[in-house]
Parts: sequence; structure tokens; C-alpha cells
Amino acid sequence: MRLGIFFVIILLLSGCQKEKITFSENVSEAFYIENAGASMRVLVQGNTANNTFIMIIHGGPGASSYLYDTKYISKNLGDKYAMVYWDQRNAGGSQGTTNSEYLHLDQMVDDLKKVIQVLKYRYGQDMSLFLVGHSFGGLLATDFITKTDLQLMIKGLINVDGSHNYPLNDTLTRIKLQSEGKYQVSQNRNVEKWEPIINYCNTHTGNFTFEESQQLESYAADAESYIDSVKYYSIVSQVLKYAIPNKYPVTSMISNIIFSEDSNFNKELAVTSFSESLHNVTIPVLLLWGKYDFICPTALGVDFYNRITSIEKRMVISPVSGHNLILQDKKLFCDEVNSFVLKYR
Amino acid sequence: MLKTGFYILMIFNFSVCCAQADSTAKSPFKNFDFKLTYLSSVIYPGVSTGIEYFIKQKSLDKSKLKPGNKILKKERFISGNLNWYHHPDFHDNLYLTLEWVKRKTKSTGFISEFTFGPGFSRTFNGGTTYSVNDAGDISVIKMAGYNYALITAGGGFGYDYSVRKNFSCLILAKMNIISMFPYNSTIYFRPVMELGIRYIPARRTSSVLKQHDSNSNK
Repeated sequence: MRLGIFFVIILLLSGCQKEKITFSENVSEAFYIENAGASMRVLVQGNTANNTFIMIIHGGPGASSYLYDTKYISKNLGDKYAMVYWDQRNAGGSQGTTNSEYLHLDQMVDDLKKVIQVLKYRYGQDMSLFLVGHSFGGLLATDFITKTDLQLMIKGLINVDGSHNYPLNDTLTRIKLQSEGKYQVSQNRNVEKWEPIINYCNTHTGNFTFEESQQLESYAADAESYIDSVKYYSIVSQVLKYAIPNKYPVTSMISNIIFSEDSNFNKELAVTSFSESLHNVTIPVLLLWGKYDFICPTALGVDFYNRITSIEKRMVISPVSGHNLILQDKKLFCDEVNSFVLKYR
Repeated sequence: MLKTGFYILMIFNFSVCCAQADSTAKSPFKNFDFKLTYLSSVIYPGVSTGIEYFIKQKSLDKSKLKPGNKILKKERFISGNLNWYHHPDFHDNLYLTLEWVKRKTKSTGFISEFTFGPGFSRTFNGGTTYSVNDAGDISVIKMAGYNYALITAGGGFGYDYSVRKNFSCLILAKMNIISMFPYNSTIYFRPVMELGIRYIPARRTSSVLKQHDSNSNK
């Protein structure tokens, strides 16, 4: 009897995985892509009837696309386009068992390619697809579009505070911390907080070890909060506001971020650069940057802009943002993405 | 929602059938308690059903049995449970646990318990799961999900109606932490809340209670 109930439940649970594909102005449907030991969650939300899709490639590694799914974006982008929130492997709501050996960039590019293939399988091969890469997501998107022909799968890239060259990134972070720090001290603002940062930058001048790179990133994350004109953003408030309505798997998100932050993958990333292959990029590109982004400084975006071959390219700098422009200057983000997508879809 | 209701009815029906099968002192089930609880993982619904097998009851110093907050009995059980919760868009988790249960019952009927034990979890992804081969061919994976080893630990409070009334059940609120591994090469923790009833067919405490009451009357 008990065994019978067990099997009945199994059968009913399998019903929860029934394929559901909707074309309408207000869609919210989640599905998974299983690849190399990971089941990666993809949430499609908004207007699928318009045949235009915007996929968020989140930062981290190990953060989550859940954090980008806000009411403002739903209202100002999701009303016209379908927003696609993909949780990368070992991130957010993505699941698996022992799969750390697959946590590397080449595998993640393969994951991204397969996510796009499934999106097109579900919603039509003729869809217009744009990628929004934020922070580490910018690096992943860069890896993707600089690989042979993969950029042809999408209509354009929106790079938001993204990296493409980690060693250069460290150098530029140090320079920006040092120069902005000195300016802030000269203005007598948060002197006690800037001084240790300036001292660190003065004594660590280049050829950074992994630990030095991590320390610079830590200082960079703190630094934007010492600038008065930067709009405050709290990840805790974000989680408290959206965890229940957006059905966050909170403990999965925490486990994944802790694991990813400590994984050897970060050592691989620390020496990764796509500067030499950026000339392969020919698709339209929009670069959105926070003026006070110390983690991926504006100069990194300028380097990206100068190296790509794309004719249609534009860079916009938000005066009130640090590293999280999507959430710190959401109006600018939505306005710019709207214009870009409308033009190139 | 209809499906959820159906699960609950199925499990409830099963529990009642077992519970009503034979509840006399001669019953082979006299050492078993039957459990049905609403399981809530944060805000996500679920059900838990199981059987507790009575192992032992610690002998008590009867002179200490006074009305009030004194402990009437300390019991140990082994509990086998089938649990399920539904987290939309994330996963359904069906897990079996084998728990060691330590329960204290006060003379007022209030109980507290602590549980700990291993288990096995089978998750089902919260949506259609696709696989893409190198040629770009796409297929749907049926019943996609993962198997995990599981450890559960928890504690709770409740009330045993059989202590003061002739009603063989207890109600319990309990918080468990389940940990599943290897989850993305690490450990996944999840808080799970239980609210429910346990049916106790043959009270093992009646003699103790009578002794307690007679002591109190003196």
C-alpha cells in the first residue's frame, strides 16, 4: 500500500514537469536545461508574443538571476519583451550533485549556447535575442561572442559593468581606488576609510597575486559606499523584498555563492583575458557603466569599446552608479535597453 | 492545488486505514505510533507521514511525580517518515528519513522532542527539463531531478491528549533542518516546519499516569 502511494506521488510529481510554452503578454514560466552535471533554471517572464527576448547573464560567479528580477524591470522591459533569467551552473536555483569539475568558462559557454538553443526551440528560431552581461556575466558573454560564429545566435550585447580581462581589471581597479581615494581624502571625506585603501594601493603596484586581486576586489566593493553621490543599493533589502513573491530558493542561493566564491574557478578567472579576441565582435553593442564602479572601472568599458569591430556601438555612463547599475540606475538601464533593442531587434 | 489536495487525501486515507486497523493492547501495532503532519518549508507546502516504533521508556522516580511541570515520562522511538514539499519553479522534494526520537512528556501533557537521523532525498526539477546534444538535438528528460543523501535534525513542542484525556493522539509543532549532499558539490540546508497529529494506538503510559494520579491524590 505504502509503495503504491509512493509511486502515485512519483507519477503526479512528474506531471509538474509537463512542457508548458506560452505566447502572451504576461508570461512566467520556468524550465531547466541539464548539461554536464547541472540542471540550470531558466525563467521566462513578460511579453513572449513580441518575439523579442532579453537574457540576463548574472554576475558572480555563483550569484543568481533572481536578483535582477524586479518590479521595475518587469514593468518597463517585461511589458514589451520577454525577460530571460538564467541561473548559471552552481548558482541560484540551479541544481546538481558532484559537478565541480565542470565549473569552468568553456563549459559555461557551452551551457549558454545550449540555453539559447532551447529558448529558440521553445519560442521560435526567428526570435530576436539580446544578452545582458553584468560583471562576471559580461566576461562570460564576451567569451561567448568572441567564439567562432556564436555571436550570430544573438542580435546584440548589452555589457553592464562587465569584465573582459581580469589582469587589466585589477590594474584599473588599483588606479581608480588610488586616484579617487586621494581626491576624497583631499576633500576630507571618509578619510579614515580611504587611507588604508590608498596605502594598500601604494604598496601593491602590479603583477598581482590571486590574494592581492581578491583584496583589491574587496576594497573596490566597499569603496563605492564611501562616495556620497552613489545611489545606495542593499542586496539584503532586495532579498527581503522579493524572496517570497519571486519564490527565491534562498538556501540554495547561499550554498551556491559560498561554494563558487571559494572554488578554484576564481584562480582560472584571475588570469583570463579576451582583449586579443575582441576584434571578432561585429554585432551591435551597448555598454552601460557606473561612474563609480571600482570593481570593473569605466576604463575597462572604454577598452572594450575601443577593441570591438562593431560599427553600432554606444557607451553610456551613469553618474549615480557603482557596480550595480541595473539596480542603482534602473531608469537609465531600462531606457537605454529599450532604445537599443527597439533599434536592432 | 487540486494535485496537492489529492496527495493530502491519499496520505491521510492511508494513515487512517493503518491507524484504525487494530488499536487494542493486543495489536501487533501497539509499539507503533502513526503520524500525519502538514509540512511547510518556509512558505512552501508539503506533507509528512510516518510511523514511530517505540523502543523504550525510561523508568521514573515516582516520588518526583508531582502535578505541575515535572516530567512524567521519557521515551525513545525510531521513526520512519515519508516527506514531500513543493517549491514552485525550483523543485519538489520527496524524502525518506529514519530518525531517532527523544521525547519528554510532562504530567500536564506538554511534550518536547528532539530528532536526528539520516535519509534519502529525490528531487524533481520545478519545470520541464531539456537536454541538448552536441549536434543541437533537443530532448525532454522525464522525471528529471537528483538523488541526495540527507541528514535531518529537529526539535519541537506539542501536547499529548492521552495524558489527561482518553484521546489517543498528540499534536506537535516541530522545526527541522534538512541537509542534502552532495548538492552542487556542497551541502544544501533547508528549514522545514511540521504541524500535525500523531495517533498512538495503545498507550504505554496509562499505568504510569494512574500511578501519578494516585500519588497526587495522597
